[in-house]
Amino acid sequence: MSVVTATVAWLTDPAQWSGAGAIPQRLLEHIGLSAVSLLIAVAIALPAGLAIGHTRRGKVVAASLTNIGRAIPSLAVIGIVLPITAAIDPQLGFKVYPTLVAMVILAIPPILVNTEAGIAGVDRDLVESARAMGMRETQVLISVEIPVALSVILAGVRSAATQIVATMTLGAIFGSGGLGRFLVEGIAQNDDGKIFGGVVLVAGLALLTEAAFVTIERAAAWRGREHPGTNRRAAASVPT
Amino acid sequence: MDTSWILAHLDELGLRTIQHLGLAFLAVGSGFVLSMGLSVLAVRVRPALAPIIALSGILYTIPSLALFAALVPVTGLSILTAEVPLVLYTLLIFVRNIVAGLDGVPGDVLEAADAMGYSRRTRLLSVELPLALPLIVAGLRLASVSTIGLVTISGILGDRFGGLGFFIFEGYRHAFPTEILAGAVPSAVLALSVDRLLVGAGARLTPWSVGSVAR
Amino acid sequence: MAGSRGALVAFDHASKRYPGLDLGRTGAVEDLSLEVPAGRICVLVGPSGCGKTTSLKMVNRLIEPTSGRILVDGVDVATREVTELRRSIGYVIQQVGLFPHQTVRANVATVPTLLGWSADRIGGRVDELLRLVGLDPAVHADRYPAALSGGERQRVGVARALAADPPLMLMDEPFGAVDPIVRERLQNEFLRLQEVLAKTILFVTHDIDEAIKMGDLVAVLDIGGRLAQFGTPDEILANPASDFVARFVGADRGLKRLALARVGDLEPAPALTAHPGDDASAARDRTLADPFPYLLLLEADGRPIGWLSATQVPASGILEEAMATAMSPLLDVRTTLKDALSMLLAADVQAGLVVDEAGAFRGLVTAEMIAERLHPTTPARAAVD
Repeated sequence: MSVVTATVAWLTDPAQWSGAGAIPQRLLEHIGLSAVSLLIAVAIALPAGLAIGHTRRGKVVAASLTNIGRAIPSLAVIGIVLPITAAIDPQLGFKVYPTLVAMVILAIPPILVNTEAGIAGVDRDLVESARAMGMRETQVLISVEIPVALSVILAGVRSAATQIVATMTLGAIFGSGGLGRFLVEGIAQNDDGKIFGGVVLVAGLALLTEAAFVTIERAAAWRGREHPGTNRRAAASVPT
Repeated sequence: MDTSWILAHLDELGLRTIQHLGLAFLAVGSGFVLSMGLSVLAVRVRPALAPIIALSGILYTIPSLALFAALVPVTGLSILTAEVPLVLYTLLIFVRNIVAGLDGVPGDVLEAADAMGYSRRTRLLSVELPLALPLIVAGLRLASVSTIGLVTISGILGDRFGGLGFFIFEGYRHAFPTEILAGAVPSAVLALSVDRLLVGAGARLTPWSVGSVAR
Repeated sequence: MAGSRGALVAFDHASKRYPGLDLGRTGAVEDLSLEVPAGRICVLVGPSGCGKTTSLKMVNRLIEPTSGRILVDGVDVATREVTELRRSIGYVIQQVGLFPHQTVRANVATVPTLLGWSADRIGGRVDELLRLVGLDPAVHADRYPAALSGGERQRVGVARALAADPPLMLMDEPFGAVDPIVRERLQNEFLRLQEVLAKTILFVTHDIDEAIKMGDLVAVLDIGGRLAQFGTPDEILANPASDFVARFVGADRGLKRLALARVGDLEPAPALTAHPGDDASAARDRTLADPFPYLLLLEADGRPIGWLSATQVPASGILEEAMATAMSPLLDVRTTLKDALSMLLAADVQAGLVVDEAGAFRGLVTAEMIAERLHPTTPARAAVD
């Protein structure tokens, strides 16, 4: 069981916890880049999903873009973006932007799909009553549709977050920061402890992210917003 | 963009594409067969479902890079090291979709099938699986596309692997953008083409959507 | 296969208990014993949770009884191989359960295919059955269930159940999922079908009116799966065995019974009759002497022309057609007593004229005679011969 002991040794080695290129730094890089990617993806996909779900227009276009976004391999995205951004900004263009773009593209489909399906899946009777009461369209969206669809939307964001955290490691192949560096370096140096240490850290972070979002979702539901008005079938068909 | 390089390496590009498809289909095929068995088990033996889904969920959070690297001490730099992670990743997608598909068969259809004298096996083959087909095909689509992506990453294992991903790694090593793109663009196109193909195949396999008449 | 003329079904102290639940809970059946003669429709009726569907499903072993037996043609169903048993029993449920991924033709052909019939035989049989249930094979056979209306789907479901010509059919609220107009049509067509096919049918419904309309025999079940009463529709309506049954059939059970009986079931009262050309004075004497002083003028072939009161009959001469001014409703022997009473009330007369198929006068039926049927102590006429 030398791999296990090596991993434990590596993780408990104080040298790994201080200095440049050490665990805290990589952890922060990883979390930071993941967070930024997620925020950008949310900023793009959430409004789009809300608009498409509420107006029920543009579904086809959104579906096509989602399919494309899902299909393109992340490594390929990094590979395509890198020469372009490297030319623009030699500093960040190498280490940050390619991975960032790839992660944003990765995260948009789950957020978009879930948001659109969640909003569109709200009981039509509920929406109609709201309109009949004189609410304007934005009010209907904010006061009725979003609260009812909240759990589905958050599930989409959760899915995106965990995927980002796990796939962020790819950036390390191209010199990006983050926990993936331990994997790449470990492979190059044939250091099992480092590889599996990195694995443990990434998996741990991914599970923590998942747990954090689940807590947020539970809190949102617990506030009494879990309406019986959600169309259960629409919500359940969306991958979480 | 150095087009002369591309032209000079056309045959290698071709070979790598074939390798790419080969690695992908091997993984998807094995994963599908394995998942089918696991799914049927999970549907029959309800308690088994939760652990199976949980296990595959955990696997999914392990970065592919790590899984490839993790197997190196075990299986060296053999094809197993490349294939096993690919197969494992397809498990979550397949099991979740196949189980959802089988669960989605309406209860009255199952009851009618039983009442008419279908045996359990015939019922599974003639009624449940055909009706689960849309979700199974969706799973196939997702698994194929993600596996094609993951094959590129297997390039980390060295020159013998990676399919088109090989060019991405090499291009980066030699700071040669053309080579990077020569690997990245075709792999993206490959993934998109397979996606489209499976959508079409899926539509043709399910002619019973509303309003249709058998041809 | 065992004759398509209908199987004998018997419940022999059949019970279904669910572990941990005491009786009185939904779906359990307690000690059910009844016998359904071959070729008859037996309706299991009762409120939700009375075990009627559970009892039905024990026959084709979708549910296994915890004690007791169910016998088909004298054979305990538990001793038969289950898929072989089910292929010999037709099954129709409310949601139909058509296979969405197969055409109508393939659906109907399910059991014959399982039994290994030849393709030719199956093809012919499918066409025959579709026509039998009122669907044109050329139009419907190659459609998919999603393209059919609710009524069409139900018809295909019935065709599918009949495909292998089973001697026994189980039907669980088969007409429940369609609107009342379509339901009535399907019920009538099914009854007509049964006149030809004469299969043994176990029919479950929660609707007492449907039970009375469809059943030769009715089994009323109480919550907890107890048999409250088993008899002909008329028996149940005339003599409810308990308060529960009386409440379940409804306070208007008298009227319901009227709907079951026909004018032909009554013995019509005689009337004074005469023909045009008869001697008037003799007729007048006869009429005046009668406690019911009215004369009915008939054609030579017996068809009624009209009434004359005693004072309207001339003292001399002969009777003529034009003398009869008043008329009563004509009641065919097949008219239900309920409709007959309506006609009498609408015409505001005391009696209706019963005529046979040729239109010849048979006798009188009065509102009183009909009302006597409502009396609870009137012995019921058996509907099963």
